[in-house]
Amino acid sequence: MEHLFAIKHSYLIPLLPLLGAAIAGFLCTGKRKTLAHWPIWISVGISAILSITLLLGMLAEHEAPKAGLYHVQNWYHWISAGSFDASVGFLFDPLTAVMLCVVTGIGFLITVFAAGYMKGEEGYSRFFAYLGLFIFMMTMLVMGNNFLMLYLGWEGVGLCSYLLIGYYYERPAAREAAKKAFLVNRVGDFGFGLGVMLMFAAFGTVSYFGDGSGVLELATSGSLTGFQSQALQWLPFLLMLGAFGKSAQFPLYVWLPDAMEGPTPVSALIHAATMVTAGVYMIVRCGTLFVGNDAAMITITLIGAFTAIFAASIAMRQFDLKKVFAYSTISQLGFMFVGVGVLAPVAGVFHLVTHAFFKALLFLSCGVVMHAMLGELDMRKMSGLKHVLPKTRWLILCGSLALAGFPFVSGFFSKDEIVAAAWHRYPVIGVVLLITAFMTAYYTFRLYFRVFEGPLVLPTGVSAGHQPSPQPSPAGADSHAVHGADSHDAPAGHGTDHGHTAHHNHEPSLMIVPLIVLAIGALLAGYLNYPAERLGDFLGKSPSLVASFDIARQRAAAEGVTLAPAPFGQEEYRQLTKQERSAEDVVHLRMMVVSGLISAAAIYLAYVVHRQRRDVADLLYVRVRRIARVLDAKYWVDEIYQACIVESLRKLGRLLFVIDQVVVDGLVWLAGFTPQGAGFVVKVTSQRGYLQGYASAMVLGVLIILLIVVL
Amino acid sequence: MTDLALQHYLAVGAILFAIGLMGFVTRRNLIIMFLCTELMFQGIAVTLIAFGRYHFATRPEAFFASQAFVLFVLVIAAAEAALALGLIVLLFRRKQTLDAEAWHELNG
Repeated sequence: MEHLFAIKHSYLIPLLPLLGAAIAGFLCTGKRKTLAHWPIWISVGISAILSITLLLGMLAEHEAPKAGLYHVQNWYHWISAGSFDASVGFLFDPLTAVMLCVVTGIGFLITVFAAGYMKGEEGYSRFFAYLGLFIFMMTMLVMGNNFLMLYLGWEGVGLCSYLLIGYYYERPAAREAAKKAFLVNRVGDFGFGLGVMLMFAAFGTVSYFGDGSGVLELATSGSLTGFQSQALQWLPFLLMLGAFGKSAQFPLYVWLPDAMEGPTPVSALIHAATMVTAGVYMIVRCGTLFVGNDAAMITITLIGAFTAIFAASIAMRQFDLKKVFAYSTISQLGFMFVGVGVLAPVAGVFHLVTHAFFKALLFLSCGVVMHAMLGELDMRKMSGLKHVLPKTRWLILCGSLALAGFPFVSGFFSKDEIVAAAWHRYPVIGVVLLITAFMTAYYTFRLYFRVFEGPLVLPTGVSAGHQPSPQPSPAGADSHAVHGADSHDAPAGHGTDHGHTAHHNHEPSLMIVPLIVLAIGALLAGYLNYPAERLGDFLGKSPSLVASFDIARQRAAAEGVTLAPAPFGQEEYRQLTKQERSAEDVVHLRMMVVSGLISAAAIYLAYVVHRQRRDVADLLYVRVRRIARVLDAKYWVDEIYQACIVESLRKLGRLLFVIDQVVVDGLVWLAGFTPQGAGFVVKVTSQRGYLQGYASAMVLGVLIILLIVVL
Repeated sequence: MTDLALQHYLAVGAILFAIGLMGFVTRRNLIIMFLCTELMFQGIAVTLIAFGRYHFATRPEAFFASQAFVLFVLVIAAAEAALALGLIVLLFRRKQTLDAEAWHELNG
């Protein structure tokens, strides 16, 4: 495998985007600013091609060794201190290849879109520089062969996320959102950092794999010391905390909806398709640490399921297009966590891949809407946009069908695998997920029917574009869209006129073409793993999954439970007897029928309430206004955090400030004052300018020294 | 009547040094103070020569070293006297007095 071109030159995959970012950031200034997308397009494009050749090359490897198909390539020693040794090394296995394709492939499409979307922005080159830096960090995260590189990437993408959420830094809401994202992530990363330290303390290394000396290999070696096995009890929980922060799971999800203050391509790339899935990637990668720990797996499952239904319920009452999809992302990430929690990592990664396609598509479609509606995103102010944005309507319909899990579209297969696996293990969780799937389909199509169907209503100041308007629209109204959730927050003059006319094309091809590619993915990505389970077989060759499956099977055998190997993508599945296999498939098929029906029913409900009889929606609202009010307030989670955590921390901060002012600064002042005061005392007592005084002092001093020396 | 021994020379040196020191500390006339420093020099020089002669039998090089040292001291004292007296003349011209107290406002 190491002969593959992409592996021999794997350093290019992260370094090219970094180089692109440097060129875009440092060289594309002034007049060259409008060219800033070129270095990023080229570098991310080459990275994407390399990633795809890596994936194809790995697919061509037929027989995998028993321990899994992988190759470790160390480039250089990064940190070497005592027994601590961390190399900059890459791990190539099917999981890495799949993640790389998602990151660079979808990343490339989004950078293409972004060039159209961000055209004429003040910080055009800054935006692309950050985007390149993000791709660099994300590829480091998925390629690294040790937890230190994972941590580097982890913090790096967090930094890029912060920078890009705060891209419109002149807007207070964006600044606040950026700070919130950074601080909330810090809570999770604290646990993650502790986890890495504990890992080193227990195992003396932080690498994943390396000829039997990596953490993931040592954890399964069977000869563990007492401290090591105790550490294994706690490690998953510490790592999990990091995953919950980065992947926006329940206690730490609050930053993601606010992160929608960033430009829409950023929401699509970072806050839907790639960065937020890092937690899922990490848990699958460290499966050997998690699978053996029942408490950890149950925690992941419960948190995932709770987050899924919780976020979906909030999404049902959101009116901001991007906020709906933000909560939807949180909910779908919950699905992925349930997937890995119920011992179906393949289903989790499969959903990660399909979700990356359809959620990126949905966010970017939102971006097109926003672009055309001059930054307006409130679905109450728009309707029937299919007349204005005919192409976007079809694209968003593809994405919505996939998200809603409509039969035979990608989201259907991946979500269904998770639901089936959950049902197999904990039927209650399966039911929760089915309810969530209903909600998902409902809120997705609520948005679609509200915004794209029905009579044409446009926000004030927006022209229909293709139809000649009777009067020239008011000055400034046809300016470039003010991208942002709250356009009234934007300072005047931000949406400066870039020479667009009232009849400018709402759907430039630079924005539509990448969306078409994503739409094809959103429709067809499900066939990657159904019916032939090609993705599962491929992922199953990853050493992480091989080892996880071994542990899971041993535990299942000890408890006398049968374990389905399919969710781990293992060969054993192929060798099951026909009867066993068909029994399992029947469960799966039944689940498919049920979830297909649920999805269709929810879409029909949304159709009735939000397309045919919109007045019914208002009546319904009056009926359930108590519940609706709770949902509108998003369960007051932000308020509770504000009151319990933020305020008490702020009080602590004020107290510490006073302590700093009085005690610490007091000590510093004292240290400065003591010599000064002593000097003053000496000056007024002995330093008086009388030569005889000096002489006698000197004599006295010499005498004292003599006394000391002689005695 | 015994021969002059080391301690006699040392006593003379010490007395010279002590007179100089006492004079320096107690007198306020700049020229007297300067003379007193010269006295201290001479006291040290006598002591040095005495020690050098005393060690001549065992360490002749110490004898020569002490003589050389004292010659240097004398030369430097002479040069210094020229400089210091010049300075004192300048100070006298400023304040029409030789009292060191007159310059106490130069304190740090």
